Amino acid sequence: MASPFLWMGLTSLMGQLEVFSGGGILPRAPRWANYPEALTVQPFGRYFLNSLVFATAVAAGQVATSATAGYAFARIDFPGRDRLFMLFLSTMMVPAVVVLIPRFLVIDALDWIDTYQGLISTELVSVWGIFLMRQYFRTVPRELEDAARVDGAGHLRIFWSVALPLAKPAVATLALFAFVDAWKNLLWPLLVTRSMEMRVVEVGIAAFHSTYEINWPYQMAAGVAAVLPIALLFLFTQRYFVRGIQLEGIR
Amino acid sequence: MMNGTRVVRDRQDGGRVRRPTLAALAAVTFAAGVGLVLAVAAGRVEGAREAVAEAEARMAAALWEEEGGGADAVAGLLGDRASILGTNAGGAGPGAYAYQAGALEPAAWIAVAPRGAGSASTAFPATATAIALAGLALIAGWAGVRRHAPAHSRYPAGIALLSVGCIAVTVFAAERWADRELGALSTARVGQGARAVELVLATGADPARAARVAHLPWVEDGALESPDDQWTMPAEVATAIVASLERGAGGLAALSPDLPSATPAFTPYTVEAEGATWHAARTADIHLAFLGYERTASPALTLAGGGTLAALLVTLVLHLVQLSARPRALRRTLAAWGLLAPAAALILAFTLGPLLFSLWISLHEWRLIDPAPLFLGFDNYAGLLVDGEWWSAIGNTALFTLHVPAAMAVALALALLTRGSRRALRWARLALFLPAITSVAAIAVVWKWLLSDQYGLLNRVLERAGLESVPWLNSPDTALASLMVIGIWMVVGYQMVGFQAGRLVRRGPGRRRGAVAALPPYHAARPAPHPVLRARYVDHRILPGLRPRLRDDRGRPAGGHRCRRLPHLPGGVGVPAVRQRGRDELAAVRRRVRRHLAAFPLPRYAPRPWLTAPAHPGSRAGCCSPRRASSWRRPSCGWG
Repeated sequence: MASPFLWMGLTSLMGQLEVFSGGGILPRAPRWANYPEALTVQPFGRYFLNSLVFATAVAAGQVATSATAGYAFARIDFPGRDRLFMLFLSTMMVPAVVVLIPRFLVIDALDWIDTYQGLISTELVSVWGIFLMRQYFRTVPRELEDAARVDGAGHLRIFWSVALPLAKPAVATLALFAFVDAWKNLLWPLLVTRSMEMRVVEVGIAAFHSTYEINWPYQMAAGVAAVLPIALLFLFTQRYFVRGIQLEGIR
Repeated sequence: MMNGTRVVRDRQDGGRVRRPTLAALAAVTFAAGVGLVLAVAAGRVEGAREAVAEAEARMAAALWEEEGGGADAVAGLLGDRASILGTNAGGAGPGAYAYQAGALEPAAWIAVAPRGAGSASTAFPATATAIALAGLALIAGWAGVRRHAPAHSRYPAGIALLSVGCIAVTVFAAERWADRELGALSTARVGQGARAVELVLATGADPARAARVAHLPWVEDGALESPDDQWTMPAEVATAIVASLERGAGGLAALSPDLPSATPAFTPYTVEAEGATWHAARTADIHLAFLGYERTASPALTLAGGGTLAALLVTLVLHLVQLSARPRALRRTLAAWGLLAPAAALILAFTLGPLLFSLWISLHEWRLIDPAPLFLGFDNYAGLLVDGEWWSAIGNTALFTLHVPAAMAVALALALLTRGSRRALRWARLALFLPAITSVAAIAVVWKWLLSDQYGLLNRVLERAGLESVPWLNSPDTALASLMVIGIWMVVGYQMVGFQAGRLVRRGPGRRRGAVAALPPYHAARPAPHPVLRARYVDHRILPGLRPRLRDDRGRPAGGHRCRRLPHLPGGVGVPAVRQRGRDELAAVRRRVRRHLAAFPLPRYAPRPWLTAPAHPGSRAGCCSPRRASSWRRPSCGWG
């Protein structure tokens, strides 16, 4: 299962012609220079920065919108709640490609093409996140809420001071998934960004592939550099990913 | 009640709402709805005006280029509405760049003032306004008449119905007005095109060249087959035009009053073709046609849309008004709406809106040369049904989805293989999950390289083994299968973790514990506020509720006597130790809950009476019974 990654790492250290020589799998002499070279022929530093800004903003936005909406769905009894929730859930069934073009037209009408706000705004809400937060808030014992209400707290107060602090694990899970998903997102940034300054890593890798079609070691080096941050992030936060899948089972 | 105003009493909360308030709110909503309808109609007309001005500017620029910089032709076409400015004025308002022959940089910017801007016709249609006022009067009258109706009548529903009806009529009127305006603008557009063609023809240019200036589809007089050109008219329209001319019933539509009427050959008229109305005009030997700036969907669709919107709006406000009789429910609803607002707005703007938009697009044909998409109904869908490519795409998709069950089988096997807490297994799980979270582009590149025809790893291995290499991604036979393998590779990590997390396949010990975090939903219906002191509340109410939900790290009940089965623990841990651990866990939860409640700020106002111990003779402080405490207003009853 990990062999593609292994192969990626090994190829990234080969010489450009060595790849085609049909020799062994191991590089004859590791060529570490591939990395600085590949990452500087295109402004990958800028790409990484853009990806970081994009993914962080999306994670923060999704946490904010999902936590508030999830709490309302889980804990507040208001007319039409379940119907509204079903409506929200039904949008999960829509393939992303269907709304891609209209979304692009909306962003274009707002004159937000090739800007951060255009990149970020469509991704700020995730129905999956709302569902996750709702499920989690439902597990918070009602007694805690009642105790707070005894003290005179309203719904907003309970949300902020009781429910949200208790939901930190879910928030962490959601933030991580949102971050990783945003980092992985290729299609939308590809569509919305035009200039090199606005490209994210994913688009950068794709563009790199078409520009340096023959130079596999360079591409593999760029690929390793793109995979590495997420792999490291995952290494230290595995627990939250597992918890997210535990809470859902619908991904 | 006190001042004689009749009120609607609410059944649940006993709150009250004054009927005139209700009527006023309904009227405000209604006025807002009508305003919205009129603004939408006016916006469409305004947009069409600017589009006409843009088109006129393009024609003027083309004329200017034909004449080699002649300001006379531009003035002849547009009069004083056009002004030829330097290029630095470009981009502001409707207009077009004009180029010198062969030049790459524009030489001038021709700005055009929109037709009829600021004139009386931009004002909202009088009929619609009259209807709106009539609706308001009706509502007010209704409120007056029904002032003495009994409580719990169908009063709000009546108002809602009335408002929706009035708004629907307003939509209809506004649409009629917009249609008339748009029709006039379309006639003007095609008329100006004909005029521009005349002007170019007068310079001795050939008809094709002249027709290009108009930026409209065209056909030469009497010839259905017009030369191969960018702006060729659809054959059906050309046929219809010729037919209508031959019948002599060309229906010479009323000329728009502000068109230059000096040219005899120029006669705008309308033709029905392809299920839409085309505005056509004739110059000496060319016919121009133009799919007008018109509502292209059926009026019923607009009416239904407007009606639904209005109904939603009115019910929303009426709903709120009704809730205002029950302050607690109102507060709850407002809090919920406030919390939902960001998510709902974003979903509406970027998911539901675009979804409806694509539905709308799917019912239309969108041509580059026509500003208004043509309503087709389900023709596009019918086209799909007979499209072979579509069916093969469906087949491929169906085949491709088979990778999901395949991946599940693989994931189950892997989940069984990698359960346990040994270090190697943990690393194996990590490696298996990694594909699910890594960047798609990098994955695509690496697989492309792995499966590359000549140098890919897989083919090299095959060659070493003396087999023939396979063009994995480049042959229709193997491409889909290769993609399915990659698909399995990508999703198998998620599913594996899903199996392990869903306890179909247990993971070994070693997962961190989170007692409160793993609580299942708790649905018991209890009276909300309790007249008990805080610590007692925690001990008597919260902790007993939590106890059965405390879990050990394998998902089994933990905590003292509730621990029926022993979790399997290494190192021969016996029963007492497990019980002790359960108790420790419970104590930890108790501490956490207490700390949390202690940190929770008390309200600023004075403590409520029941928060102080009752000065009731014979009361025993440690003995309160929460179940009986719901009647806390009478302390003599719940204490002791």
